[in-house]
Amino acid sequence: MDMLSIRNLEATIQDKQILNGINLEVRAGEVHAIMGPNGSGKSTLASVLSGREEYVVTGGEVEFMGKNLLEMSPEVRAREGIFMAFQYPVEIPGVSTINFMKTAINKIREYRGLPVLDAVAFLKVMKEKMKLVEIDQSLLNRSLNEGFSGGEKKRNEIFQMAMLEPKLAILDETDSGLDIDALRIVANGVNKLRAKDNAVILVTHYQRLLEYIVPDFVHVLYKGRIVKSGTKELAMELEAKGYDWIKNEVALA
Amino acid sequence: MSLITEKRNLIDEFHTAFKQRGLNNSPARRKTMDTFLSQGLPDSRNEEYRFTPITRVLEKITGLTDAPSIHQPVLPGSYNLIPGLASNVIVFVNGVYSPEQSVVLDKELTVNIQDVGSSTTECDPFDSLNHAFAKELLHLSVKPSTSIQHPVAIVYYFDSSSAIFATPRWQFEIGKNSNLTLLEYSMGSATVQYFNNKQSEIRVGENAQLEYTLLQNGPKSKIELNNTHLYLSATSRVACFTFSFDGQLVRNNLTLTLDGQGIDAHLYGLYLVTGKTVLDNHTVVDHRSPNSYSNQLYKGVMDEYGKGIFNGKIFVRPNAQKTNAFQSNRNILIGDSATVNTKPQLEIWADDVKCSHGCTTGQLDEEALFYLRSRGISKELARAMLLEAFAGETLLTMKNQSIRNYVETLIVTKLHQSQ
Repeated sequence: MDMLSIRNLEATIQDKQILNGINLEVRAGEVHAIMGPNGSGKSTLASVLSGREEYVVTGGEVEFMGKNLLEMSPEVRAREGIFMAFQYPVEIPGVSTINFMKTAINKIREYRGLPVLDAVAFLKVMKEKMKLVEIDQSLLNRSLNEGFSGGEKKRNEIFQMAMLEPKLAILDETDSGLDIDALRIVANGVNKLRAKDNAVILVTHYQRLLEYIVPDFVHVLYKGRIVKSGTKELAMELEAKGYDWIKNEVALA
Repeated sequence: MSLITEKRNLIDEFHTAFKQRGLNNSPARRKTMDTFLSQGLPDSRNEEYRFTPITRVLEKITGLTDAPSIHQPVLPGSYNLIPGLASNVIVFVNGVYSPEQSVVLDKELTVNIQDVGSSTTECDPFDSLNHAFAKELLHLSVKPSTSIQHPVAIVYYFDSSSAIFATPRWQFEIGKNSNLTLLEYSMGSATVQYFNNKQSEIRVGENAQLEYTLLQNGPKSKIELNNTHLYLSATSRVACFTFSFDGQLVRNNLTLTLDGQGIDAHLYGLYLVTGKTVLDNHTVVDHRSPNSYSNQLYKGVMDEYGKGIFNGKIFVRPNAQKTNAFQSNRNILIGDSATVNTKPQLEIWADDVKCSHGCTTGQLDEEALFYLRSRGISKELARAMLLEAFAGETLLTMKNQSIRNYVETLIVTKLHQSQ
């Protein structure tokens, strides 16, 4: 069974049509890369899947684990197993990362009928995951993302992903603004979390990230539609030739 | 029976009550009453009370100026509000100091009753009104170079079936090099209707330390007017906290006069305004000598029909060179019908100073809200978490842990209630 099934998805923001009929099937164990030139709708797709309210779905459907995703609030999507790593994680002064994570993990566990983690059990899980994504506790003792560098913010996103153990992770331009060391650490974290019962959607502009996280499928998004799908070789071809040839192909079709 | 109801003249009522209670026998009181009569009760044309409909609110209270009820109030078993915090408790019952109800734990704390004395130069009409009606002046003091072990709690307890017009008046003298934690709050039955028109003066001696918390949670129907004036001497260190969570109308006039060098003064305020509450903080920080520091942080969350008001004056007198004076007021509006009026007023006569002020009014950060929700946290809880974080900044520097924990709990309860 498909984990995620997107059919003819259309969406607008402020009456501007961005998604023009997206079709995508993601099965457990797969990694899909969504690539495309600027303004093609990549981040909009990630936003619609995570439930941002400023986007209005005007057509199509999205099923996640057999349920209608579009009917769910952002928090319910998260509890059902969707995780989005933000392109620009927000700084929230006064909310400590540790308290925030403890609240989040327990809300998700409650929803799934699991017992909540007490402070001791939570810290044990946290220590494990910290090691996995190479993040320092001093960072987590601070207010959420406050004063974090770009790389620290992205690493914190992957740490949260490790903590919440989602079925489907959507990484929205996680590679943007990262130097090569930070990129490697973030990619290692994601690779360690890959398993046969979860899936990843990587939204990225560049092929660079795909050298570290090797996708099973690559899709090219252009003008709100998937215009080409292939395997990792497609990403290499895009890297070599740029996006113009895709645009030309679409224009000719 | 006339269909036209005559507008109530509260000033006349106060004047009549003044005479009926025999207060006009004292020439000093008569003089103060005359001052009040010439000042009158403030309406919206009065700049200081432009946004604060206190007179209209007072006019709605039946029997406000009636003679105090002869009914014995039902007294509580304890005036301690904060669990685990043993305090010296100074109790005013229905506005009058009660030595029987008060408990002094530390022998270094001196309490005595004095005559209200002759009129000084009141410029606030409610200050004059308090002075004219106050039964006595309660004088509290801590000798120089003394650290009293327990905090001092000043408690206003109200219980009556009829409306109460209370005029407590006290003075606190904190000796040179002494250290004091002072706490002030109201208690009473939930439905009691009162107007607590309080006047107090705190004199902080040279190099003394004071942590002063005014906690306004108490009865919902209360109307409070606080005239609090602190006089700070050289190298004293003072932190004032004002937490206002409930009441019909609350107006705080908090004035700090910094008369000496090397003073360190902090003012923190938090107002969480729900229902139809009007919550007004007017601060004055008056730098009269060089080389002192003051910092104000007032924050407010207005929900439902709540109305918040902040007015912050800073004076830097001509010889107060090298003054550092800062002020910040930040507000979040939740309800569509909630409002806030904020106004900084800086008057600087010295030329070598660092002063700044800033005020912001906005809504909850939608992006932050979405971020928390995207991790499985409900919208309601996410809002409460963000508001708690916003509010919590005002008590970060509080030294007394018991008071701090208590206030923290109040904030959490209040923010979750209003969801």
